[in-house]
Amino acid sequence: MAGLFEVVGMRETVHTEPVQDKRWYEGKPVCSMAVLLLIVTGCLACDLIMTKDPSYMDLKNYNVPPNREFLFGTDTMGRDIFSMIWYGGRISLFIGLVSTVISTVAAVVFGTVSGCAPAWADHLLMRLTEILLSVPGLLLVIFIQAVLGEAGILSISFVIGITGWMGIAKVIRTEVRRLRGSEYVIASRCMGGSFFHILWYHLAPNFVSSVMFMVVMNVRSAITAESTLSFMGMGLPVEEVSWGSMLSLAEKALLSDSWWMIVIPGAFLVVTLLCITNLGNYLHRNVNRQESNL
Amino acid sequence: MRGLKAGRKVVSFILSVWILSVVVFYMARLAPGDPLVSYYGDRVEKMSRTERERAEDKLGLNDPVTVQYFRWIGRALQGDFGISYKYKMDVTEVIGKRVGNTLILGGIGLLLTFGLSLLLGVLCAWHEDRLIDRLICKAGTVTSCIPEFWLSLVLILVFAVHLRLFPSSGAYTIGREGEMGDRIWHLILPMTVVVTGHLWYYAYMVRNKLLEEVRTDYVLLARAKGLRKRSIMFRHCIWNMMPSYLGIMAVSVPHVLGGTYIVETVFSYPGLGTLSYESARYKDYNLLMVLCLMSGIMVILCNMAAQAVNERIDPRMRAD
Repeated sequence: MAGLFEVVGMRETVHTEPVQDKRWYEGKPVCSMAVLLLIVTGCLACDLIMTKDPSYMDLKNYNVPPNREFLFGTDTMGRDIFSMIWYGGRISLFIGLVSTVISTVAAVVFGTVSGCAPAWADHLLMRLTEILLSVPGLLLVIFIQAVLGEAGILSISFVIGITGWMGIAKVIRTEVRRLRGSEYVIASRCMGGSFFHILWYHLAPNFVSSVMFMVVMNVRSAITAESTLSFMGMGLPVEEVSWGSMLSLAEKALLSDSWWMIVIPGAFLVVTLLCITNLGNYLHRNVNRQESNL
Repeated sequence: MRGLKAGRKVVSFILSVWILSVVVFYMARLAPGDPLVSYYGDRVEKMSRTERERAEDKLGLNDPVTVQYFRWIGRALQGDFGISYKYKMDVTEVIGKRVGNTLILGGIGLLLTFGLSLLLGVLCAWHEDRLIDRLICKAGTVTSCIPEFWLSLVLILVFAVHLRLFPSSGAYTIGREGEMGDRIWHLILPMTVVVTGHLWYYAYMVRNKLLEEVRTDYVLLARAKGLRKRSIMFRHCIWNMMPSYLGIMAVSVPHVLGGTYIVETVFSYPGLGTLSYESARYKDYNLLMVLCLMSGIMVILCNMAAQAVNERIDPRMRAD
């Protein structure tokens, strides 16, 4: 047969298998994760990294710009900033985590109670949440802290935690209201499952994904709140090293023009917050978005 | 029907303000701290017991808190809010001197924030996922991570200490209170911080709302009909997004004004922020009460305004 016909005008069709060239790291915030991991391990292992005692006031070498001995310089009280960064970072991160845990627990309890409650109670609780939500958060923190007086690490985490649960609680409440009529919850209740059993085994797995982003963002706002409070002199005292309380010496630093006391702790703070934000955004991102009609 | 609704709103407003006043009053009084310090300063430490008692009697701090509360509210209803312990002037007078400064900083900051965020949001949505959008998003994320107080410090360090372009504190040069130019010159740095602190939050919201909007079916129809992209975006999408944007704008008024608080403290700008900070710190009860009530009333009013705006321009939001 060959040679009788000549095939003309047929388009070569190339079959291309959709190649899976997406690596494991694509679309994931690898850089942020790495930097965050670096900072967190640095802070956790601060005993190994620190070159000086962070609370030791070296009165001969105060206000020294960064040099070979004091890598990031010293502050106006003669403390080594390089050591303080790692040591204080541990406290800043700790406060961020603890207050997030507090607000998450409060939000879960409040949200589920409100979601399971009868309509009038739910309405009342949600009005309360909305009122609290519309008060600027930091003002609330400052007010409560000012009322409570001198702050310690735990008391400041408590205050920040107790003022930050409203947003999460609202989301949880919506989810719970959606889920509470579903068959498996009713079945569980019929079998005598207690409130916390239902919450833990049936409701929580459903709202975890939608709340995760807000929880991560909560860490961020808690760290910001702590540093702002400490900076204003209403949070941790100067002796209690954290990124915020390091910056509370900034007024003096401005007078003596020591940029390293302001820029270096602040840069650590901002980079950490940025990494946390990227992580949160990754959890939040809508994966399959529709094409634009415009 | 309409009158009934308005009456209910007024009642709920008065009720909320009253509850707020009770809560703040009791919280402030029951907290540890010595209000005499703000009145007498360091002399308090040297006072004998009888002197102390006389001083407390004079300020009416010896009675039970409930009695104090009723006395306070009785006078407040007649327009007498008492004197500030620290400034030894009428509270209204102390606040009156400063409220203008905060309103200028917060008000202009608010307008700039909303204008700019709308602009940025539309720009991003227009160039969705292209280079310019991605750049703005990245930059915005970074700015949203910078704590306001630190941004203020860095700006002071760069522009006031090193370049000596702008003053580092105050609202005016002493002796030149009346000059507009001088005031504006003092406003630039604090204003930058207020605006950048809030800008991305709202701009990102505009962007996301617009992105949702351009995925709706009427946009497809309008395209099919042959309308140009520009007119779809500016004639339809933006206006459909407006109600929710305006609503959030109204709710966020206290947030932006509250944001001036930190900026005022760092720049020692004589506004309400520094005043509330001092009054909370030094237990200047009368001043603290009025400031808290003012912010509370603002929060409530703004929420009501948001609701009203929404109902007015968006018929879908009407309750009935």
